[in-house]
Amino acid sequence: MKNQSTQTAARPTTGVRSYKGAGLRSRNTPQPGHRKNKWRIIRWTVLLSIQLLFFASFYIDVQILEGTLSGSRLLGFHLIDPLAALQLILASKIIMVNLIIGVVTIFIIYLIFGGRSFCSWICPYHWLAELGEMVHMKLKKKKIVKNHVLDRNIRYYFYVIFLALAWITGYTVFETINPVSIISRSVVYGPSWMLLWVAVLLLFEIVYSRRGWCRYFCPVGVSYQLIGLLAPLRIKWDREKCSNCKRCQSVCLVPHVLNDCVNTGKAGYVDSSLCTRCGRCVDVCDDEALGFSFKYLDKII
Amino acid sequence: MSKSGQPSLTRRGFLKTSTVVAVGAAAGFGGLSVPLLKKDRLLLRPPGALDEDLFLASCIKCGQCLQVCPPQVIRLADIWQGFGIGTPYIVPREGGCILCSGLPCVLACPTGALDHHLSLGKDAEMGLAVLSSPDTCLAGKGVNDLVHRLEQLRRDDQAGMDMAELQDIVTGCAARLSPEEKQVWQDHFSLPEISEQTLPELVARFKPEDIDWLGEFLASSSLAKTSCRVCLDTCPIREEQPIVFTPHREGGPGAFLPSVQKTCVGCGVCEEKCPTALPSITIVPRLKWSENGTTRQEEDGAA
Repeated sequence: MKNQSTQTAARPTTGVRSYKGAGLRSRNTPQPGHRKNKWRIIRWTVLLSIQLLFFASFYIDVQILEGTLSGSRLLGFHLIDPLAALQLILASKIIMVNLIIGVVTIFIIYLIFGGRSFCSWICPYHWLAELGEMVHMKLKKKKIVKNHVLDRNIRYYFYVIFLALAWITGYTVFETINPVSIISRSVVYGPSWMLLWVAVLLLFEIVYSRRGWCRYFCPVGVSYQLIGLLAPLRIKWDREKCSNCKRCQSVCLVPHVLNDCVNTGKAGYVDSSLCTRCGRCVDVCDDEALGFSFKYLDKII
Repeated sequence: MSKSGQPSLTRRGFLKTSTVVAVGAAAGFGGLSVPLLKKDRLLLRPPGALDEDLFLASCIKCGQCLQVCPPQVIRLADIWQGFGIGTPYIVPREGGCILCSGLPCVLACPTGALDHHLSLGKDAEMGLAVLSSPDTCLAGKGVNDLVHRLEQLRRDDQAGMDMAELQDIVTGCAARLSPEEKQVWQDHFSLPEISEQTLPELVARFKPEDIDWLGEFLASSSLAKTSCRVCLDTCPIREEQPIVFTPHREGGPGAFLPSVQKTCVGCGVCEEKCPTALPSITIVPRLKWSENGTTRQEEDGAA
């Protein structure tokens, strides 16, 4: 039932346009000085720098960020991937102190910056998938491939299944096929044959379903999403500036999260925990109606 | 993504089917592959590793043990190592664990898969060394390791001299000379003394032509009468007497066979350093010493 409602809500034709400028496309000249790829460049720089720090920690012994994305140390402080930690606890039936410390640190960081910020700002698979998405869009334009929309709730089923499997089998099953840790390990310790599995996932995204893994499957994203339920860093929408062109939804990883803003005009912020704060919508909005903001806090400041 | 214009019933049906397929595949993958793959052979784990099942359950596969390993002998399992992709292991023949003081790998482990209660290398229980091939063991034949290695080197001479091995043999010899023999070497290489300080100079002055001289020297020296003791000499915990040499009658005079004792932790340095072509002494990972003085394989239960 939930699934059905989200699917229909994703249709841009529905919704009440009760705000100024809606649907009129009145200002289709870009705002002067708008930079098309500003946030993507910043984000890719951060993402690739993080991988570079991991790489450098082993190859030239730069002790800033050591380990991999499953478990690492930032200047000596433990950071642990929350999904891996939960799997370990369920598999071993032991609660380890360092694990808790590492997860709490992660919690504090993402509690502020938005849970799924991990996806777009840190995750190396996301970066590869963005490149894959570009290929997919090109092929789609030439009508070589078609996008298949899958059920977004598969992610939650996967999350529960793999946690259950960890408990039942006593082994962190998901970590075997987790593309995030596979890539992260390969970056630091040299390529693994498991990269072939990552290639299969990317191929799936290119030829069958746009951004398939991140959108429909990845349980790592679910775990970060849960951390960021109340995160104040959100995309703010300015109804006065919006010309309702919907370009933001055409580039978004989770387009339906923008419905309450650009389709119905009910909300001033993108409030869904699914939002990865990637800033693509901010980049493509040449009305400059979208931008990063701290909900609750910006009034105080 | 929503403008495809398909009738919603077909789409709903498709979504339902794809969900069931994906969820089924995920459950099946884990449910079936885990018990099947777990039956694989055991790998030598870094010191402090919990019992294999618990170790697999609690290793987060971050590789931090590998990062801090001073001799760089820890590696991460790939698909060829069977179960446990990304877990750390050691290949003793290519580099055994030297049980560094402080055990940095154990300290680096964020999950306790390498048990933090372990603080001394001598208390590790990685496995046990076994004399897997007594017939090839040099000690059992009363042969000296340096003599054997030099012979080996001269036999393989055709393929070009292995200079690294030659230098290693020379270094090994120089370290074991008696005072009178040192005099002989000083005269031959025109060096004021044979010591740690002059070793680089000695190696530099050693020409491949000197190999025949070295052969003759070794044959007549006291070293030739001392059988190989490499496994004990290189053992990181040799003070604990993990290997005892017992006389071996079949091997003739001066022959001894190494026998592994309770104090062995299975670090693998003996297997790495064993001078025979295939190691005569090898590590059995997870092997434990039982009460009655024999060894036993750790029970493999998913308890």
